[in-house]
Parts: sequence; C-alpha cells; structure tokens
Amino acid sequence: MARPRDPFRAWKLALWVYAGTFFFVLYAPLVTIAVLSFNDSEITGFPIVSFSLRWYRVVFANPTLLSAFGHSVAVGLAAALLSTALALGLSLAFRHDFRGKGLLLNLVLVPVVIPGIIGGIVLLIFFGYAELRSALMTTVLVAHVNWVLPFAFLTLYPRVHRFDHTLEEAAMDLGAHPRQIFLHIVLPVIRPGIIATALFAFSLSFDEFIRTVFVVGEERTVPIQFWTMIVDRLAPELPAMAVVIIVVSMAAALLGFTYQRRADAAGT
Amino acid sequence: MSGSAVKPIGWPWLLAAPAVLWLVVFGLAPLVFMVAMSFWKSTIFGTRPDFQFGNYVRQVAEPLYGTLLLKSLRIAAVSTLIALLVSYPLAYFLTRLRGVWKSVFIIGLFMPFWTSYVVRTFVWLPILGRTGAINAALLSLGVIDQPIDWLIYNEGTVYLGLVYVYTLFMVLPIYLSLDRIDPRLVEAAVDLGARPWSVLWRILLPLSWPGVLSGCIMVFLLGVGAYVTPRLLGGPSGIMYGNMIADQFLNNSNWAFGAALGSTLVLVVVFLLLTTGRWIGIRQVFTGGRF
Repeated sequence: MARPRDPFRAWKLALWVYAGTFFFVLYAPLVTIAVLSFNDSEITGFPIVSFSLRWYRVVFANPTLLSAFGHSVAVGLAAALLSTALALGLSLAFRHDFRGKGLLLNLVLVPVVIPGIIGGIVLLIFFGYAELRSALMTTVLVAHVNWVLPFAFLTLYPRVHRFDHTLEEAAMDLGAHPRQIFLHIVLPVIRPGIIATALFAFSLSFDEFIRTVFVVGEERTVPIQFWTMIVDRLAPELPAMAVVIIVVSMAAALLGFTYQRRADAAGT
Repeated sequence: MSGSAVKPIGWPWLLAAPAVLWLVVFGLAPLVFMVAMSFWKSTIFGTRPDFQFGNYVRQVAEPLYGTLLLKSLRIAAVSTLIALLVSYPLAYFLTRLRGVWKSVFIIGLFMPFWTSYVVRTFVWLPILGRTGAINAALLSLGVIDQPIDWLIYNEGTVYLGLVYVYTLFMVLPIYLSLDRIDPRLVEAAVDLGARPWSVLWRILLPLSWPGVLSGCIMVFLLGVGAYVTPRLLGGPSGIMYGNMIADQFLNNSNWAFGAALGSTLVLVVVFLLLTTGRWIGIRQVFTGGRF
C-alpha cells in the first residue's frame, strides 16, 4: 500500500536547496576573485572597468614572484619526497605488531594537534639557538616536512595496509629475498598510493604559511610573498596571483585524487 | 593479515627509525625546548637561561592576557558551533548521494580546501570591503548611497573567515560516521511512523556523535591558534591569542614571554584533548577510526 504522502519530501527538497546554497557560498568568493583578476583597475574590487590580462602580465613579469614560485616548487618537491619516504618506512613498520606502536602513533600525530603557530615558533627558537640561518632547504624544509609527514602517513598507511599479504607469502615460499619481495611485489602494487601521497604532500607544502613565516629567510615561498603583498599595500595584482595559486594547488590535488582512485582500485 | 604464518617484510623499528628520528629531533625536541624557555628571562640585552615563573606571573597579573585567551577560546568555540550547524546537513546530504553525483560533490567539496588558507581568507576582502561585491551590489540596487564599513574588520568577520576556511574538517568526520549508519535503521523507523525530527534526534545524531565530536575538536584546535584570519579580517578588535604570540617573536623580541604564552596555549590544547579523550578515542579524531 502506497503511503498517501511522503513526510520527508519537503525535507529532501530543503536539503537540496541547502546543499546548493552551501556550494554557492563555498565557490562564490573564488569566482569573484577570478572575475576581479581580469579587471583593468588599480583598485582591487568593483566596479568592473574592462576586461584585461594586465595583472597576469604583471604577475608573470615580476622576478620576485617568479622566484617565489620557484622556491615553492623546489621546497614542495623536496618536502613531498622526504615526507613520503619517511611515511613509507613508517607505514611498512605499522604492518607489524610491535611494542610502543601506540606511543609512536601519538608521536606522529603531535604536529597535527599542536596549533600551527606553535609549530612555527618552536622551530624559530630551536634553529635560533642551533645557530642555523633561515633558508629554504634547511629551516623551511624542516617546517614543511613536520607539517606534511602525519598527513602523508595517514594517506599512505591504509593503502599499504590493504596490500594482499598472501602475495608476499607466496614469494617467500618460493625463496625470494625480502628486498626482491619489496621491489618486485610490494612496490609495484602500492606505487599509485605512493604517488598520490607525494602529490597531496606537495599540495600541502605549496600552501603552507603559518610555520614557514617564522623560519623563512631571504627565499620567500608563494604564500609568504602573497601575505607580504596583502599586508604591505594590497597590491592590485593579488587577485591574478590568487588565481595562479588556486590553479596550481588544485591541479596537484586533482592529480592526487586520480592516483588515489587508481591505488584504491589496485588495492582490492 | 593476522594468523598468517609469515611476517610482513622488514624489522618494524628499523623501518620506522628515520621517521622516529625526524619526529623526535624536529617535532618533540623543539617543543620541549620552548617549554623550557618559558622559564627563562628576556631583557633588552637578549634572552638568557633561568628558572623563574615571571613569564607566567605576568600572564596572570596583567588582565590583558587572560582576557585575550578567553576571547580566543570563545571565538574558537562559536566558530566550531557555527561550523557544526553548517556542516551537519551537508554531511547528511552527501550520504544520500549515489554514483557519479557522490564523487562530483565530494571532489567539489574538497577542491577549495586544497588552496592555501591565506588565499581563501584574502578572497573575502574584495567581497566585504568598501569596494567589495556586497557594497557594489547594494549601491547599484540603491539600497545604500554610501559604502558601508561595518561589513568587515570585526569579530563577526573572524567567525565567517574561520568557518569558511575550516568547514571541511567538520563535514568530513561527520560524513564518515553518518555513512556508516545502516540505512535500514532509518527505513525501519520511518515505517514505524517516526517523524523527521525524531529520526534526527533519536537515530542520526546519537550514531554520528563520534564524527560530530571529531569535527568539533579539529575545528576548535585550528581556530584557537588562528593567526591569519584575525589579522586579515578581524581589524583591531578581532585580534586573537595567536597574534599576540606572534608579536613577541616578530616585533617585540621577547622570546621568553612568547614561549610562555605558547606553552599556555599548548597546555589548553592538551587539557582539551585529554578531557574529550574520555568520550572518544582521541586517535580516532585524526585517523578516522582506521587504527
């Protein structure tokens, strides 16, 4: 017998309307900034004067911005490589049962729990007293790996954990060396997971600000440069720069998603 | 995996050693060093080792610091509550989707959060500012004849900024816990005549409670140490604890006092985690129950 009226119909409709509003508010500021980046006006904002690529030309002609971009890519690659390697060792270790596993997990989670600003000042103090000068591939890299490592581990571990153990057993029974097992059996299967982790790690590093700001030296990263330009004088090319940053981060993350899907498909 | 005769390859401690070394040297040691420094003394001649409680006495004696800490806790709490109200219906919405639509909406939800929060905070300036979108719209509609200034640089904008930047951390754990609820449970309740409100109050909310708590802890932690949002959107009245900590290092060069302020914030965070950890396995907050 069909129900005379679905009491949830109005709710379902309301839910769709709500979701629409949510996504509108989520994306409206980003769309606005994209529109303003093409506005030929010295003042960031409205009214729209006319369409122009002027601010993109300013962004791509500014050597400071370009070098900031280079610094971010360099430290992002280094941080992604380092944190993924450390996370891989950690993930392989976590397949075992060993004493102190719970404690180690807590240690891994410390950088996530501690507020970012604390994560920055502790390194400022630490490196200050170690008399290590702030530089991209030393202090900034450490700050980034600190931040990225827990997330790299949390992304990679489930993919490593799901790995079909019987494959390893079979290889071992056939007399394979542990290194051969890792290189020829484990690694090929978990490779998409590793690539996905590295891409997410890059994206996290590329966007890092609050820890970096305390340990950055002469070589500014993109978010630091962006911040300086907001605080100094609200530069008119900021919207164009914002769009470039958004595109790069989203591209890395989308690639990461693609590989994650592949990893999930391979893992089952 | 358990019950298998052969162990996974490698020795666990050897595999974990590089990461452990990294975390101890660059994660734990600097943190311990900051707490130690909070007992030191900073003068105009620099910071020197000591063991005294002056930096903590000052935090209690001068009302400014306590007030600002309470204000930051309040801002973080209110932002968390708003984020919860905003995120819960959306998380439920996501669990109702199937197939391609589900992927589209979930990726659509993630995308903006993969951009630096500095950028995502900045984007509000040309919306709320004098020449911003809202003022432009109201002016052209003739609702106002002068741009209004109170849209930005107040505590309300800080709430908006924090919720906008951190909602994902609320939606995600709630979504994960809602998604685990057996849909037949809701169907059975509806067949037995439950109204929408009682489905929410008596089935969905109790069963998604761990996700709600995870999201709240995460957003609160991110909010209480905020620096960028209050600085860009808060104006003079929106300053938070994180801004004052940063000032001790970036402007005042009072490292010992800054270390003490930082230690206080860490203490608050640890206390929060220990108390909420009684209700929910604290690790689940950050690992989504994978361990």
